[in-house]
Amino acid sequence: MTEQAILQIMDIRKDFSGLEVLTSVNFTVGANERFAVIGPNGAGKTTLFNVISGKFPATSGAVLFKGRDISSQSAYRRARMGMARSFQITNIFQQLSALDNVLAGVRSHQGLRYNLLRRPHHDQRLIELSEAILERIGLQDYRDVPAQELAYGQQRALELGVTLSCDPELILLDEPTAGMSRKETEDAIQMISRVTRDIACVIIEHDMNVVFTLADRISVLHYGVILACGAPDEIRCDQKVKDAYLGEDES
Amino acid sequence: MMPKTKPAYLWAWPLGLALLAALPWILPPYQLRLVTEATIFSLYAVSYNLLLGYAGLLSFGHAMFFGVGAFAAAVVINSMEGVPLFLALAMATALTTLAGLVVGLLLLRVKGTPFALLTLAFNALFYAIAVKWHTVTGGDDGLTVFPSVVNFGLLSLDPGKGPDMYYLTVLVIGLAVAFCCYFTRTAMGQSVLLIRENEERMRFLGYNTNVARLMLFIITGALAGLAGSFYAIFNSFVSLDAISIEMTTKVLLMTFIGGTASFAGPIVGAFFYTYVQDFLSDLTDNWPLIMGTLFILMVLFAPGGLSGLVKSLAARLPGAKDKGSDRDD
Repeated sequence: MTEQAILQIMDIRKDFSGLEVLTSVNFTVGANERFAVIGPNGAGKTTLFNVISGKFPATSGAVLFKGRDISSQSAYRRARMGMARSFQITNIFQQLSALDNVLAGVRSHQGLRYNLLRRPHHDQRLIELSEAILERIGLQDYRDVPAQELAYGQQRALELGVTLSCDPELILLDEPTAGMSRKETEDAIQMISRVTRDIACVIIEHDMNVVFTLADRISVLHYGVILACGAPDEIRCDQKVKDAYLGEDES
Repeated sequence: MMPKTKPAYLWAWPLGLALLAALPWILPPYQLRLVTEATIFSLYAVSYNLLLGYAGLLSFGHAMFFGVGAFAAAVVINSMEGVPLFLALAMATALTTLAGLVVGLLLLRVKGTPFALLTLAFNALFYAIAVKWHTVTGGDDGLTVFPSVVNFGLLSLDPGKGPDMYYLTVLVIGLAVAFCCYFTRTAMGQSVLLIRENEERMRFLGYNTNVARLMLFIITGALAGLAGSFYAIFNSFVSLDAISIEMTTKVLLMTFIGGTASFAGPIVGAFFYTYVQDFLSDLTDNWPLIMGTLFILMVLFAPGGLSGLVKSLAARLPGAKDKGSDRDD
C-alpha cells in the first residue's frame, strides 16, 4: 500500500490561533484510488483540503505526495508536481470563455506561464489540448461562451475542467455536487467517475449517495479526528459513524 | 476553418505609415513638437495601463521610472562623449530595469492600498534623492542634454532637429508601444490578466503569481524609463519635474481620461492631455484647475474614459442599432 501511495497524510494538526480544527488526521490514498472524506459541517474537511493543497501550512504533521514530503511547499509548487484541486464555491475565471479557463492550466502544465514572446492562442497544440478537456466535461459546444453565462451545472463542470487542465495525477474535489439538482448530481457522478478512471482522487462530499457511489474507501472526519476509515460497506455499518451523524455523540 | 480576410486593414496600414512619414511636411514645427511629445507620453501611459488596466495594480510611483530613465539618459550622454544614442537609451533602460527590480522586490510583498501608498513613498524617496544628489542630477538646476546624431548609414538623424526627433520617436516609441500591444496577447500578458481575475486559482494552477507581478512591474518600469529617456532628449533638458509626483499624476490623468479598459485608451489620453494642456496653458496659468475639474467630471460621468465614451456612443449609432435589432424586424 505504502509503496504505491500517492498521498500520505501523517498526523496533521491545524489550529487557528488556539482554535483546534484538526486534531490528528491520518490516512493514505493509493494511486488510482477514489478516496472520500465525509463528516458533518465544521468537521474540518475544507481545512484539511487547504492543508493538503498548500493554501496554508499545517500546525504540525506532514503531507507526502508521491513519497516526497511537501509540507513546506507552496501551493503553486504542489500544483506543478501534479496535484490539483477544485473549490466548493465555483472558483473559475468568470469573465473568460470556457476555452480560456482550461487554457490557463493547459499552458501552465506545458511550462508556458510567463513567456514574453509566445502567444498561447496561436499555439494549435495548446488549443487542441484545451478543446479535448472541454470535450471530457461535455462543454465542447460552449468553447467561446464566457463562464459567467453558463448554467450552474455547466459552471460546476468547468470547475472540474479547470482542475483537470494541468493534467494532474491527484485531484482534490471539494463538494463537486454542491448546490446541484438530482439530475445534475447524477450527471456529475458519471463525469467524475469517467475522468478519475486513471487518476487518484480525494473527494469531500455531503451527499452520501455521491460518496457511496464513487468512493473506493471512505474516511469519516469528526471534529478534527478520523472516526473511521474503510470501504463503503464497512462505513455504512460502523456504529461510531452512525452515532456521529445522528448526533448521539457520547463524549 | 477558413483564414480570415481583413480587407479593411490591408489598405489602412500603408496609408497610416505614409501619413506618419509625411507628417513633418504637413504640420508646422510647433504642432510636430506636440505630436512628438504626445507620442512619448503615449508609451508612458500605455506602460502604466499595463499595471493599472491589465494587472489591476494602482501605482502612484510610475514617475520614479520615467525620471530614472530621463536622468540616466542625460548622465550617460553627458559623461560619455560621442556615445551612440541607441547605446545611451539601452543603458538608461537597463538602469531603469534594475531600479524596477530593486523597488519591485521591496514593495510587491504588499497588495491593494498598502501597495499604492508604498509606490507613492518610493516615488517621494526617488525625488528626494534627485534633489539632494546634486553632482549627478544637477539638483534644482537640472541637466542639459546634447545627444549625438544617429547614423543609419545612408540616413542620419539629428535629435536636435524637430522632424528628425519626430522620426526617431515614432520609430522607437512606436515599436515599444507595438510590443506592449503584442505583450497583452503573450503567455505573460494573459497570465497577468488572469491573475487579476482570480489570483487564488492561478496559484493552484501552478503559477507563481508574485513572480509574474514582479516581472510585470519591472517591464512596465523599463518601458516608462525608455519614455523618460526620450523625454529628456526631446527637451534637450531634464529637470526634477521628470521624477516628481506631478509626473505620476500626469500619467494617472492621461490613463484615466483615455480609459483603462482598452489598449488604445491611454494613447488617446496622452494626446488629449498634451493638446488640452497646450491649449489651456495659453489661456491661463491656472490650467491644472481646469484639467483637474475635467478629471473629476470624467471619473463621475464617464468612468470608462474617452475610449469608453466612444464605445458607448458607437453602440447607439443607427448602424449598430440595426444590427442589434435584426430579430425585431
